[in-house]
Amino acid sequence: MLRILLINDTPRKVGRLKAALVEAGFEVIDESGLTIDLPARVETVRPDVILIDTESAGRDVMEQVVLVTRDQPRPIVMFTDEHDPNVMRQAIKSGVSAYIVEGIQAQRLQPILDVAMARFESDQALRAQLQARDQQLAERKRIELAKGMLMKMKSCNEEEAYTLMRRQAMSRQQKLIQVAEQIIAMSELLG
Amino acid sequence: MNDSAGSGPARDPLAWVHGSDAPEKSSLDLGFMALSDCASLVVAATQGFAQPYGLTLNLKRQSSWANLRDRLVSGELDAAHSLYGLIYAVHLGIGGVAPTDMAVLMGLNQNGQSINLSHGLQAQGVTTPEALDHHVHQSRTKLTFAQTFPTGTHAMWLYYWLASQGIHPLQDVDSVVVPPPQMVAHLQAGRIDGFCAGEPWAASAVKHNQGFTLATSQTIWPNHPEKVLGCTQAFVDQYPNTARVLVMAVLEASRFIEQSHENRRSTAQLLSAREYLDAPLDCIEPRLLGHYDDGLGNQWQDPHALRFFANGEVNLPYLCDGMWFMTQFRRWGLLREDPDYLQVARQVQQLDLYRQAAAAVHVSASHEDTRSSQLIDGKIWDGSDPAAYARSFRLHALADHPNRQARR
Repeated sequence: MLRILLINDTPRKVGRLKAALVEAGFEVIDESGLTIDLPARVETVRPDVILIDTESAGRDVMEQVVLVTRDQPRPIVMFTDEHDPNVMRQAIKSGVSAYIVEGIQAQRLQPILDVAMARFESDQALRAQLQARDQQLAERKRIELAKGMLMKMKSCNEEEAYTLMRRQAMSRQQKLIQVAEQIIAMSELLG
Repeated sequence: MNDSAGSGPARDPLAWVHGSDAPEKSSLDLGFMALSDCASLVVAATQGFAQPYGLTLNLKRQSSWANLRDRLVSGELDAAHSLYGLIYAVHLGIGGVAPTDMAVLMGLNQNGQSINLSHGLQAQGVTTPEALDHHVHQSRTKLTFAQTFPTGTHAMWLYYWLASQGIHPLQDVDSVVVPPPQMVAHLQAGRIDGFCAGEPWAASAVKHNQGFTLATSQTIWPNHPEKVLGCTQAFVDQYPNTARVLVMAVLEASRFIEQSHENRRSTAQLLSAREYLDAPLDCIEPRLLGHYDDGLGNQWQDPHALRFFANGEVNLPYLCDGMWFMTQFRRWGLLREDPDYLQVARQVQQLDLYRQAAAAVHVSASHEDTRSSQLIDGKIWDGSDPAAYARSFRLHALADHPNRQARR
């Protein structure tokens, strides 16, 4: 069963969404208004999904969403009365997986949450791949830089420089990038 | 010398990353077991051999071969350091998982496994194959031998060697499965009388005075196939460029390990680290350099020690290497009937992909799809008639064989 953290900033609607969720068979593990300690709450209760029910998805609401997705990535579904497409775009950009305007019926909740979960997972996978690619490129540039420095210092060719770096790394049980960083640091010191 | 040892394609270092041959997946999780023969994967992943191709390799150590298999099949691991027999067992549906189409991308190593007996047997004078044969047939209690996976290479080496000495591995002795790093502890506790596994665990038993090496796997079959880089066929289909650059990176790492004595020695030092083998250097280095001490006072430089490259001879996924394991599954009753040996091997062994990768990093790849070997019992294996070969052994457990009926 999905465990849901329900965030509610519309006192007039209190109970409406919660009742719909319970009726649809979800477990609402916590309920609160929007506060600045939202990331900490997410950390404590570890929900599968965060549901935000808000009258108007304003700037400070987005701020909370950004914070949560940065520190505690979770699928976030936002229910709102706001029809403005710009607000919707901004919400998605902030890390909202699904943006639903008004009118929630209990039987529609399951497919909405399913889509949000699936989208969240594919976003996460894509993000991890992109991050790996960025890191790879950055490391590769550092290794190239260190290799160039070593070639100059030892007056050796490219292959010899790589071999020296690798042998050093392996005999010290390190990765090539670590030895590259050491060479760069040492070279800056002696520079 | 070409540039590939250092940095891959030199002119445009990002050609692989941006071109149409770019890997579809930029970060791979690779499974491995804590064994000396996982070296080329560890070196490839940590020493920047895959980076030039836009690939990050994440090493994931596994606690047992069954665990590794399950994660490989589920897709949690993209590819893994695998026993030849493990890949074929999954493909043929033998064992704990539903049959799944599997692929052997390349061979990772040859040789370097061994059969070891306990200190207790040594004390009883059981230090030769003849003495073991005698002991097994005279003693009332059955000896227990450990191997690492029911269909794995170690089970097959153990069975083949015992049978070549006149000992029926399924009738005359008991066998159990133990993860390689736990062999020495089980030997010490007296729960097993011997084991067949890879290094550094045999050297470790000798070092701790818990056992001795009775036979190396290279005496059973010089330059035998051993570990492979395995994955699911689905992985190859979905990420063909990724699979190819993975093979390129591991080939370059294999070449690097064997480029010099110093490189082999620093490989041993790297492997010794806690996150890889977590074993002392003096258990890893000697046998990685081919220097053997059997624990009985004999020392030698082995001409067929563990090898990772040998100009690519180690790495080509020969059809007959894959078929051999199927013939042994058949021989020992793990397969109830003959599979289409050649057809299955052609599906699993990724010869085309391997040859493309080898050409890209200037490693020579034989045009032959098979090779010929002579094993310890004098038999020649060249893959030409696998069904007949599987039936040609005096000791066997062929379920449908008339001899078995006669024996009852």
